[in-house]
Amino acid sequence: MRNQIFIMLGLLLAVCLIIIGVTSKDQLVEPKRSTISIASQYGLAYAPLQIMERTSVLKDALPPGTLIVWKNLSNTAAIREAMLADEVDIGFMAIPPFLIGRQNGMQWKIASALCESPTGLVSSKNSIRSINDITEKDQIALPQPGSIQHILLSMASNKAFGDPAKFDDQLISLSHPDGYAAMLAKGDISLHFTTLPYLAQELAEPSFHQILSGENILGEPFSFIVGACPEKFHDGSPELYEGFLKALDETILWMENHPDETASMLAPIYGLEEDEIKYQLPQMRFDRTVRGLGPISDFMVESGLIDLPEQNQDALYFEGTLYE
Amino acid sequence: MSKSMMSKVGWIIFFIILWQILSVSDLFPKALFPSPVSVLVSLLGSTADGTMPRALAYSLELIGIGLLLGISLALIMSVFAKLSPVFASLVETCLSIAHPLPGIALLPLVILWVGVDSKAIIFIILHSVLWPLVQNLRAGFLAVPEVYLQVGYNMGLSPLKQILYISLPASLPYFLSGLEISWARAWRSLVSAEMIFGAAGGVGGIGWLIFKNRVFMDTPGLFASLSVMIVIGILVESILFRQLENRTIRKWGMYK
Repeated sequence: MRNQIFIMLGLLLAVCLIIIGVTSKDQLVEPKRSTISIASQYGLAYAPLQIMERTSVLKDALPPGTLIVWKNLSNTAAIREAMLADEVDIGFMAIPPFLIGRQNGMQWKIASALCESPTGLVSSKNSIRSINDITEKDQIALPQPGSIQHILLSMASNKAFGDPAKFDDQLISLSHPDGYAAMLAKGDISLHFTTLPYLAQELAEPSFHQILSGENILGEPFSFIVGACPEKFHDGSPELYEGFLKALDETILWMENHPDETASMLAPIYGLEEDEIKYQLPQMRFDRTVRGLGPISDFMVESGLIDLPEQNQDALYFEGTLYE
Repeated sequence: MSKSMMSKVGWIIFFIILWQILSVSDLFPKALFPSPVSVLVSLLGSTADGTMPRALAYSLELIGIGLLLGISLALIMSVFAKLSPVFASLVETCLSIAHPLPGIALLPLVILWVGVDSKAIIFIILHSVLWPLVQNLRAGFLAVPEVYLQVGYNMGLSPLKQILYISLPASLPYFLSGLEISWARAWRSLVSAEMIFGAAGGVGGIGWLIFKNRVFMDTPGLFASLSVMIVIGILVESILFRQLENRTIRKWGMYK
């Protein structure tokens, strides 16, 4: 028995040493070249990033030799986790996941907004014409709990029924393309809270119709996607941080002036016709000013999704970030 | 408490101490590595407000249904395979096609076939339960000593009675170890399916709880859900299955 205890203690020590050894390795080896890693998701809202990835604008704006890493992750939780693990420097997501991360001790701030975009709840059933027609049997597909779509749905249900959590047990967590496929299959999922290009594709289906829109729910335009950045990266690599924002400005301007090239670059990514992209893109507004964070944050505090209201909203933004 | 149980508990205490040391050492950010105390607080909270028991009950119910269906189907398939060589080759073929397929890989197909409610999860559990059981039963039938079968033959038992009275009881050790594998696979596929499907059919199970903990960055809650799953796994393995073995195959001297 005594021997066994010694063996256990020895093992404990060994594991501690291994973990310390593995984690401190990073600090010993200096990075050879500066790297910027940018994480985005899938959807037309991320168009400027997809354009940036396919042009040299970011490379030109950064110091020569900088390694640029693009990561396309399937949801915001993955982006947050990658950031905590120091794998991502600038991550793009909606406002609620940013606030949830901030509440849970992530040292990050908003660097810029990316766009405002239509988002809405689509119904495939003729019997569902408004939020009041949704029964307990109707399942609602959206990206995940805590997403902007979930928050908007909670807001709408709070307005209509005084209960933000009314539909929480009817949610199915599906990515936008999977949700689109599920809607077409006409199974149990009769509602989908989605965004472009899937929103437009669904509304083009006969008998599909939109019963709620993001802007109507919130009552004002809001930034759909923002770019968040850990303070460590912002303070540690100011030239990369500034370079990225400069490249983002240039890309947005370039997209405005070159709609045809923009469409031809984006079309293959989404398997859509160029005309369809040219029809959908103007429905969005690519703009670096952050809007709508206040009401979203207030609602999330009110409904208990996050607990502390941010005392000072300025603390959520880096200097130079525009917001209203 | 048996000696093996004691050493298991010893290992668990060892891991908890290691965990506390690591979290106190501040090597990792709190959001990545909460302390055991904060996990316990979160566990008590989610137990008190009913989320954890509800999720657990829902998951266990689905597993129960899946296991019952799987066991019945496996028994029927194995008995028929034993009776008819044609059916045996069918079972063989199904086994070699379906057994290596992870349940989650079937998910897109399952969505198309049965939709996204609890039936889909039961389907995936059934898939993970069925094949290990069929395979183990087949091995068990092959391992029945020839002399048992000869005795049955001399007593004039019909082929069906041979199976029911001789082959099945004689392969009980194989059946039980197949059941253990099935249970572990069912538990895994349940959690992965729930993490993908979400709250199918009203309340979500423990996989959905883990997913919610993740998206709301509730790391203590994540660890709490994981520890509940570990505890359930240990309880089922070292209490339920051990008792089942002790009262049957061990008592009958089929197994040391």
